Amino acid sequence: MTGTRGGFEALDPCVHCGFCLPACPTYLATGDENDSPRGRIHLIRALERGEIQPTDRALVEHLDACLGCRGCEPVCPSGVGYGRGLEAARVRLAAAGRLPLEVRAILAVFARAWLLRPALLLARWFRATGFPDRLSGHSPIQFLLGMLASTTAGPSGSTPKPAPATRGRVALFRGCVMDGLFGHVHEATRRTLAANGYEIVEVDGQTCCGALHDHAGDRAGAAALAEANLRAFAGRADFLVVNSAGCGALLKDLPHLIPSDAARALAAKVRDVTELLAAAGPRPGAPLAERVCYDAPCHLQHAQGIHREPLQVLNAIPDLEIALLPGFDRCCGSAGLYGVLHPELSRAILGEKVAAIAAATPQPSLVLTGNPGCLMQIGAGLRAAELPIGVAHPVELLDRSYRAAGYYH
Amino acid sequence: MSVSILESLRSIAKSAVISGPDGVPVVRPDSAEAIAAVLGHASEQGWRARVEGRGSWMPTDAPADFVIRTGGLDRVVSVAPADLVATVQAGATLETIDQSLAAHRCWLPIDPPGGDSRSLGSVLATATAGPLRHRFGPVKDHVLGTTVVTGDGRIVKAGGIVVKNVAGYDLTKIQIGGFGAFGVVVEANLRVRAVPAARALVVATGTLDLLLDQARLLREAAIDLASLELCSPTLLGGDRWTLIVQATGTAPGVAAEIDRVRSVASGASFEGLGPGQASRLNRAVAQAALDGPVSLRAGVLAAGTPDLVDTLGETIGHRRLSASLGAGGVRWVGNPTEAHVRALRHRFAEREVPLTLERAPWAFRRAVGHFGAFREGVRPIAARLRSTFDPKHVLVSAIEATE
Amino acid sequence: MAPANTDRPDPGLLAALGAIVGPKWVRSHLTERRPFEADGLPTHASVPMAVVLPSSREQVIAVLKLLAERNVPWVARGAGTGLSGGALAGGNAVLIPLTRMNRILSIDPVRQRAVIEPGVVNARLSDAAAPFGLQYAPDPSSQTACTIGGNVAENAGGPHCLKYGTTTNHVVALEAVLPDGSLARLGSPHGEPWGPDLVGLFVGSEGMFGIALEITVRLVPLPTTIRTLLADFATVRDATEAVGSIVAAGIVPAALEMMDQACIAAVEASIYAAGYPTDAAAVLLVELDGATASVEAEAALVHELLRAHRARGVRSAETATDRARLWQGRKKAFGAMGRVAPDLVVQDAVVPRSSLPSILETIGTIGRKYRLTVCNVFHAGDGNLHPNICYDRRDSALADRVARASAEIMEACVAAGGSITGEHGVGADKIDYMPMIFDSTSLAMMCDVRRVFDPANRANPNKVIPIHACREWREPQ
Repeated sequence: MTGTRGGFEALDPCVHCGFCLPACPTYLATGDENDSPRGRIHLIRALERGEIQPTDRALVEHLDACLGCRGCEPVCPSGVGYGRGLEAARVRLAAAGRLPLEVRAILAVFARAWLLRPALLLARWFRATGFPDRLSGHSPIQFLLGMLASTTAGPSGSTPKPAPATRGRVALFRGCVMDGLFGHVHEATRRTLAANGYEIVEVDGQTCCGALHDHAGDRAGAAALAEANLRAFAGRADFLVVNSAGCGALLKDLPHLIPSDAARALAAKVRDVTELLAAAGPRPGAPLAERVCYDAPCHLQHAQGIHREPLQVLNAIPDLEIALLPGFDRCCGSAGLYGVLHPELSRAILGEKVAAIAAATPQPSLVLTGNPGCLMQIGAGLRAAELPIGVAHPVELLDRSYRAAGYYH
Repeated sequence: MSVSILESLRSIAKSAVISGPDGVPVVRPDSAEAIAAVLGHASEQGWRARVEGRGSWMPTDAPADFVIRTGGLDRVVSVAPADLVATVQAGATLETIDQSLAAHRCWLPIDPPGGDSRSLGSVLATATAGPLRHRFGPVKDHVLGTTVVTGDGRIVKAGGIVVKNVAGYDLTKIQIGGFGAFGVVVEANLRVRAVPAARALVVATGTLDLLLDQARLLREAAIDLASLELCSPTLLGGDRWTLIVQATGTAPGVAAEIDRVRSVASGASFEGLGPGQASRLNRAVAQAALDGPVSLRAGVLAAGTPDLVDTLGETIGHRRLSASLGAGGVRWVGNPTEAHVRALRHRFAEREVPLTLERAPWAFRRAVGHFGAFREGVRPIAARLRSTFDPKHVLVSAIEATE
Repeated sequence: MAPANTDRPDPGLLAALGAIVGPKWVRSHLTERRPFEADGLPTHASVPMAVVLPSSREQVIAVLKLLAERNVPWVARGAGTGLSGGALAGGNAVLIPLTRMNRILSIDPVRQRAVIEPGVVNARLSDAAAPFGLQYAPDPSSQTACTIGGNVAENAGGPHCLKYGTTTNHVVALEAVLPDGSLARLGSPHGEPWGPDLVGLFVGSEGMFGIALEITVRLVPLPTTIRTLLADFATVRDATEAVGSIVAAGIVPAALEMMDQACIAAVEASIYAAGYPTDAAAVLLVELDGATASVEAEAALVHELLRAHRARGVRSAETATDRARLWQGRKKAFGAMGRVAPDLVVQDAVVPRSSLPSILETIGTIGRKYRLTVCNVFHAGDGNLHPNICYDRRDSALADRVARASAEIMEACVAAGGSITGEHGVGADKIDYMPMIFDSTSLAMMCDVRRVFDPANRANPNKVIPIHACREWREPQ
């Protein structure tokens, strides 16, 4: 789907107005034009013209420092396709062999289920020991433990009472990290969808979506994973439901990796779980008298243009008080591998968000957001700040409300 | 010496030159070029010149080798009602300007102390604004551009005649309130307004505290007023303080705001004045500001005014005092000693309040300066600007501080 | 001044700068200097010798002292959204972005004043003041991104300056560091200066007098009532005549903006589509604010005047959301031009309001003569035109036509009694136009005043005043 210039043409409308600057988390953190969308476009254009080499240290540093949140796109009056242009540049950088060793190692693991599954199993076992929860904190290692602890499940184990499934067959995209650490979110997704009249089908042969690979410029790796998913899902259901904003964004954009009709057809069926629930109403649950705040994942709001649906889902819970805190629509600094590769900047960006949550009065009991990376990042940040505030996916809360309403066995 | 100055001025100025009452030659140029010729020559000769408008605000007793009187430059050059701009020569009086503007249904909302007989040049050089600064801002907000003759006879234009303009440095600004130290303003392009459809004036009288309180209430209610001026008993010749409130705009708008004034007021009653009474009161306020040899103005915010008025009362008495209780700014007219002014400047400086000497006999000006002590870094800039605009210090001014 | 190679800045200087701000905040690699080669007007470009990003007033002062000792020219920069190439630094100059100095130091709701550092983004100050019922009135279209330090340098305007005045009317005091590293405290919280009005002189000096380290501004109460009207017209002349009639009626709208058909089309194609009628020859956006009764009375009168000038329809924004939508379209219009073509010439001429009908016809004629599309989006209430010409500079014949058309448009505006820039500043872009409106004596005086602050001409060199204007005056001296 990319044009003859490999995606660089998406940057052509930029007239350098700078309206993107305040929307960029890294620019706000450093104040350096190099870390702004406009500055990066400048660099990427020079890369395309051959004036900067793809091996240039500074170029790599500043493009790597981009979260890829695409917060700059909705504020751009000219409609610059920043994400597209960035990926084009990252493909060049990757081709020039500049992916850091640790990135290549991580991507290799994610591309291989036989490596990833045991790794995640180990992580679950470690999580179950309770150590990550107790040891989480501020230092880099403690922060990683906090991320793991933030994936801990709530109560589970019930099944929905049988209801007529009239809204269509839905295949659940299980993904990698979601499947390994957020099985409880998958369960909540299945139950809440079923309670809203969707029929859930399980699809084998699916794999990691490849978003990490794509964002890192490993287009071949991403395309291989996309092919596998296309084979697994093609023709299997009316909808392919995703509860991870990052995976959803990639799957909706599948044709840019595989320019085929089949890919286009599958992409057209992809829905975020909140979209399907919102389309169904959703069915009101039992009251939960809690104050929560919602945080919008970048790949939901900017990449997929989904703003209202998560709030519609939460509005199905009577008595729930939902706050949108200052900066709720700004990146948390997680951004896939970003937190691992740029811990300092990532934590600086997260710091703003945690400060806004800490300053909220009355304090919320939960931060709700629909992306695994954001759940782990924000969760770890709240733990590091020693705030007694949990994190959860919006469907988890709806699930609780449904259980209280007696919709489940 | 002055005879030879008189004669050489006659040959250069190509304008009327007479011998003044104290034997000092007086030139009455009728063009910027004539002033430029005179000042250029004076600069070469090392003569010092005193610039006078109508003789009430700029110094008339300062020692000088000759006098430039701007009364010959008294024309309203143009009025463009569709653009709401006018070009006026500096020697024109406010009265002349008002009449010309009124013929085009335009209005210059500057109502300085001293009143209609003042020349525009004196208003600009001293930056004296009156009660209407509450809505319409300080003098500088009305000036779009100027033509200035420098102390060495260059004719410099700054700004323009459009209401919005950022071409080049804003050289006009230092002429306004520059007390004549940076050149002679010969012509100004003014931003004017359409004559408002309706005006109203109401007054309340009472104790100082009561009226300060009323003003605070009006301010907090964000009532849209044209002026909110407090006047001391001496200023208006009574034994009570007076709060004068004006509103301008559309008839329904003005009526509604005056209604709000009355409903917000607490413990004071606001009495409406008819148009004749209102303009007599405004004139009285302006004229009273000349009933004393020295005018001071303090750049204080409305919130700090009560405290500052108290301080003035305790030190030099309230005398003829007026204060804008919206935009801020206190004017005091009386007969203080130089020591008083210095002491007050010290006390006010601690509160970040400048005290400017607007008007005084020359010796007094010379002794305390218009501005007093400059703040950090300002003295060298002011001195270099003075040398840039008037390299030989031909123009007599007490801008250099003496403290 | 020592010439410096663009590719190899002096290592000693870089080390000294690094010692002041930390090596991380000195950008010397060519790649990292490139993004600073242009501001909001990329048709002008120049890569600075080095970029240094200070984060405190002490650092700025130390940097300026160092550059003074070494006789190195420098250019201060805000967010780089300026539209006159004013923040361009040559290959021998150090660029000093002030984006990291972005603290709001205080907001005093009682005294209605705020003290801020220069890197504070314009809209952020209004956001911070809003809980107190106050706002910072100057609202350049780039207000979500531009810094107040940059606004001070350029004396920035914006739609609402028609009623509220531009930056110069809102800045009351400044702490500035001069090019020699010395400090000057200008103005007072009230606005009355301690001496001549140096704040008024400093504002709009385009970064050539020094760097403002702390800026004290007035905050004004948020209006109780706001009414925004959108009128559309079948001809541009009708729209411009309606503007004149509103102003002449004694109404001072908070804003009075106009967009022509080409501009409406670009905005409506963007994500900021405001619902402007795309078949209109022009739309007028009229905003009235203030006390309820007067706003209503004025709105009725404006409505009448718009109808009398053959407005096809007049829409009134009923809610804050509607109003924001109408304004978004106007404020993002410049950026939306990127949809039309990759490059853009942005003019900023001012004409007397009464000349608007004829000057717009002249601009149309010039556009047709050179076969160019001219989009007009401008502050009609104060006659501040922004004719934008979209083109592709890779087509050199086209670029040449654009240059000639721009010059002709400027000549026409000046001939009508106007100015070459209303709010963007002269910068590098309009420097050649300066002699069109100022004689050599006046230009030379500007040079002299600049030397009062910067005797070595090191602060933002080669901007605003054409060099020859300085020489012509100085040589006979």
